[in-house]
Amino acid sequence: MNCQELQSSLSLYLYGELDFAHEEDLENHLAQCAACQLSLAREKQWHTLTNSQVLEPPLDLLAECRQQLRPALASEGVARSANVKSRWLGWWRWGNPFEISTTRWSAQVAAASLLIGIGFISARLLDHGSLQLSNSGVNQMGILGPTNTLIRDIQPGDSGRVRIVVDQESEISGRPEDANIRSLLLSGARQPESGVRFYAMQLLNQQNATVNADDVRQVLLDAVHNDPNPAVRLEALDGLRRFSADPMALESIKFVLEHDDNASVRYQAINILVPPGQSIQLPAAVAQAIQDVLLSAPEDDYIRARCSQALHEAKTPLAY
Amino acid sequence: MEPRAGFIDNIAVQGATSERTSEVDLVRAAQRGDAGAFDELVRAHDHQVLRMAYNLLRSEEDARDVYQEAFLRVYRNLPKFRFDCSFSTWLHRIVANLCLDQLRKRKVRQEEQTSFASESGEIDRLQFIPEERADVDPQRRFQSAEVNSRIQEVLAELTPRERVVFEMRHFQGMRLRAIGQALGVTEEAAKNCLFRATHKMRAALGDFA
Repeated sequence: MNCQELQSSLSLYLYGELDFAHEEDLENHLAQCAACQLSLAREKQWHTLTNSQVLEPPLDLLAECRQQLRPALASEGVARSANVKSRWLGWWRWGNPFEISTTRWSAQVAAASLLIGIGFISARLLDHGSLQLSNSGVNQMGILGPTNTLIRDIQPGDSGRVRIVVDQESEISGRPEDANIRSLLLSGARQPESGVRFYAMQLLNQQNATVNADDVRQVLLDAVHNDPNPAVRLEALDGLRRFSADPMALESIKFVLEHDDNASVRYQAINILVPPGQSIQLPAAVAQAIQDVLLSAPEDDYIRARCSQALHEAKTPLAY
Repeated sequence: MEPRAGFIDNIAVQGATSERTSEVDLVRAAQRGDAGAFDELVRAHDHQVLRMAYNLLRSEEDARDVYQEAFLRVYRNLPKFRFDCSFSTWLHRIVANLCLDQLRKRKVRQEEQTSFASESGEIDRLQFIPEERADVDPQRRFQSAEVNSRIQEVLAELTPRERVVFEMRHFQGMRLRAIGQALGVTEEAAKNCLFRATHKMRAALGDFA
């Protein structure tokens, strides 16, 4: 171990997080190197300085938190019992878990749970409403997916599997084409975290194009139009490549060429319509789309040049 | 000497095992609807939950919100808990994610500015933090206030994830493996995150060390 390696391991050493061999190397080097001993002393010092920042929550805060938790749990217990009567009948006792026994409390708890129930049902109904809207065309992106599952993280696992951290509580892993994983990926493409949306989109794009692709196409269309993150739009656009014969996909690619404020996304769109370096016969719909873009007089010189060149090479007469 | 060390190790292992077993029993009882068991679980962990939230968010109100939401989520999802990890890890995951959400919101709103405008000009909030240890020597008090201010600044500059990992390792003393489990990332990813955080702390506090 040299001095540089040692210095980058000092904190992990102080935390006791080095493996045995690494720790032994470090200590051997330390025994012979005065400069590194000084570095260790400095490292200890900033650790100690930082330790002084630990705050102990005031005791009354803990008591207050416990006090406030009781009625909240009580309301939850009644709501749960009302919603899932048979299976979780035992939880009914949570309606009064801390032995709050007066009838006044029961009435308050019942009223609170009624309000929660109404809110819950309304939210569900509204969810379905927005889902239908979203599926009917390219609308504002519903940020959470159809099931309103909050997805925290998506990571590739071993042997082509994917690992999805769902909500606060659980992890699910499986192959991207498994029905439940696929459904989570579709939901993942509408999550608040742009990283989650990006990886969900990427995994959906890697799937076999023939597998029930309408829902994937819809997610990609939504993202191309509405996602605030250019990397996600880029990934969605890339996914639309396989749907480029579809009129709605073509319309969306055209929309990007005309309106996307990110140059990389616009260039990706023109590259999908007209792959660079290839002289191809453009399908009539694509040629029409490119003409439309030119007619809209895009400000981007590169886009204008590529569109003109594509029409020229494809020997398609310009419409203006 | 050897047998004695082994004996002590065995006692430690037995102690840890029985603690784990009793917690598993408590969780199972709570899953069956035993209110007392749930109460015991809350009381076994709630001080640590509040401490972590309070230290990360440095606000009584936010810490109170995290506390309540964390245990409500535990309550709602306990029937689905399958012992894939320890109850404590699961609870830490919930708390860490709630705090991460809060820190991310703050980053967006830039709420963590250390100064605010007043009629008499810009005022540093940190000057109102009481400094108890250096109240005798003015020079020392000045240095200490400066150090505190710098530490708070650099903590606020960490990304939310770095902040949470640093909090869990440095202040809560959690192992990197447990931190990784709690955050749903690998131990290596947690280690890298800690590495970045400590690098920033070292760079910022080098002058004081």
